[in-house]
Amino acid sequence: MAAKVISGKQVAEEIRGELKQKVAELKEKGIVPGLGVVLVGEDPASVSYVTSKAKGCEEIGLYEETIRLPADATEEEVLKTVDGLNKDPKISGILVQLPLPDHISVDRVIGYISPEKDVDGFHPVNLGKLLRGEPCPLPCTPHGVKQLLVRSGNDPAGKHVVVCGRSNIVGKPLAAILMQKAEGANAVVTVVHTGAKDISYYTKQADILVAAMGRPNAITADMVNEGTVVIDVGVNRVPDSSKKSGFRLAGDVDYEPVAEKASYITPVPGGVGPMTVTMLLYNTVEAAIWLNQS
Amino acid sequence: MPANLIKGDEVAESVRTEIVKELGRIYDETGLTPGLAVVLVGQNPASLSYVTNKEKQSKKLGFYSEVRRLPEDISQDDLFEVIEELNEDEKIHGFMVQLPLPDHLDERVILNAIDPEKDIDGTHPINMGKLFSDEEGFIACTAHSILHMIEHTTQPVYGKSAVLIGRSNIVGKPLALILLRRNASVTLCHSKTVGLADICREADILVAAAGQTGLVKGDWIKPGAIVIDVGVTQVGDRLVGDVDFDQAKEVASWISPVPGGVGPITITMLMWNALQAFKKHLES
Repeated sequence: MAAKVISGKQVAEEIRGELKQKVAELKEKGIVPGLGVVLVGEDPASVSYVTSKAKGCEEIGLYEETIRLPADATEEEVLKTVDGLNKDPKISGILVQLPLPDHISVDRVIGYISPEKDVDGFHPVNLGKLLRGEPCPLPCTPHGVKQLLVRSGNDPAGKHVVVCGRSNIVGKPLAAILMQKAEGANAVVTVVHTGAKDISYYTKQADILVAAMGRPNAITADMVNEGTVVIDVGVNRVPDSSKKSGFRLAGDVDYEPVAEKASYITPVPGGVGPMTVTMLLYNTVEAAIWLNQS
Repeated sequence: MPANLIKGDEVAESVRTEIVKELGRIYDETGLTPGLAVVLVGQNPASLSYVTNKEKQSKKLGFYSEVRRLPEDISQDDLFEVIEELNEDEKIHGFMVQLPLPDHLDERVILNAIDPEKDIDGTHPINMGKLFSDEEGFIACTAHSILHMIEHTTQPVYGKSAVLIGRSNIVGKPLALILLRRNASVTLCHSKTVGLADICREADILVAAAGQTGLVKGDWIKPGAIVIDVGVTQVGDRLVGDVDFDQAKEVASWISPVPGGVGPITITMLMWNALQAFKKHLES
């Protein structure tokens, strides 16, 4: 059996279409959602992310502002910038692009963002609400995974989801989202990681398998049962001399052989990737609505 | 061979000893005593008995202790005011609101009004959120008690498979993150999970917190597993757990009884959190 491909590009487009309409409706009421991005330094991956976020905003009609600070900016300066955005009525969502330079405390900066404008969903108050099952902005990548599942007809309710990887930005929040007694969740969730002796012991039990370890080809065909839904969150740069850049992007899943066994699978690129920015846009629009109500 | 018992009293006693020692040391250095308060709304008999136990234990350990007894029909605004007072009160370093609250009060809004630095119950969203990262916050007392019980067995957690039945805000959800941080693989399920028995059979550490008597049978347990029974259901004049104890003790390596397991520790963990709140206050 060859797996059906879940196209993140397509699902993202669908959601952006919905957002565009919502933004148009908001504009008629005089509300323009705005995203403020803080970029410290010039890490090429970060610069490219920030650019695609700005493009996404333009596409669906959001106001966008990127504040660039030099790599040697002090923590004080970053906090001051965040504070400015907290107070700026044009801004409904704030995103501080990670990673930050070593001399700046990520926890302190994230904790400084007004929780109502925390569209990345990483402020401790929002993570706590997420765990408690209260309304809050959901972290973008895990939210994107949920949307991919639900919109491809693979509702996680009652399913056994095995999440490989327990990062703060994917594994843990995804587990927290899918374990809730809520629509599009209600799954049995297992989180495994490099601490486990035999990861395949767990992956073979999965109805839905999410690979988020950040290691190319970590999930091989022998680790996957027939009919599993496979979501690949990994984005790894693998050396490839045939490419001009010298590398290609690969996921955590050994794609071709796994696709032979899976019922559904997401490709890399074009799977989870496009969803992350889209869910950020989603959170920004939701934040604007929320801020306007309160 | 029957399992070793994880006795709540023993675990609690070792934590209490440490608390008394710390309080003594701090008093000698600073002359200061930490204060702890409990807010009780109404006369729910179970709540009354909890609150009395908390008051007794906190005094015995050497805390300054207060109980704010409020009428059943107190308005949300008036309760807010009490919480605001305690947030500001310099004698009080940590406090908690005894649950459940009467129906006319919005539990979520009330709990979120507690200063996170004084939230010794560990249920404010900020403290729950800190479980995701390595930031230090307060850990919900029941989840924290279970961690102590597991540690009491001196069996390694690293690389083990932990299965948690029940996804409450005070047990399953926080415990999942706590055990992940200690490098266990964690599965969170609930009483209605399809194939629950099979999932449980794979657990090196099984935590039953479903509130369903006799849910976990002996043949659900992996030989040699650690079994923690968090269920407390009143059946006649007895308290009964979620695990069929007589069967389970023949299979498990360690097991906690009901009563006498998790119960006696939770209050002690509240005191532990109050001590941490006090220490943080002294540092700042």
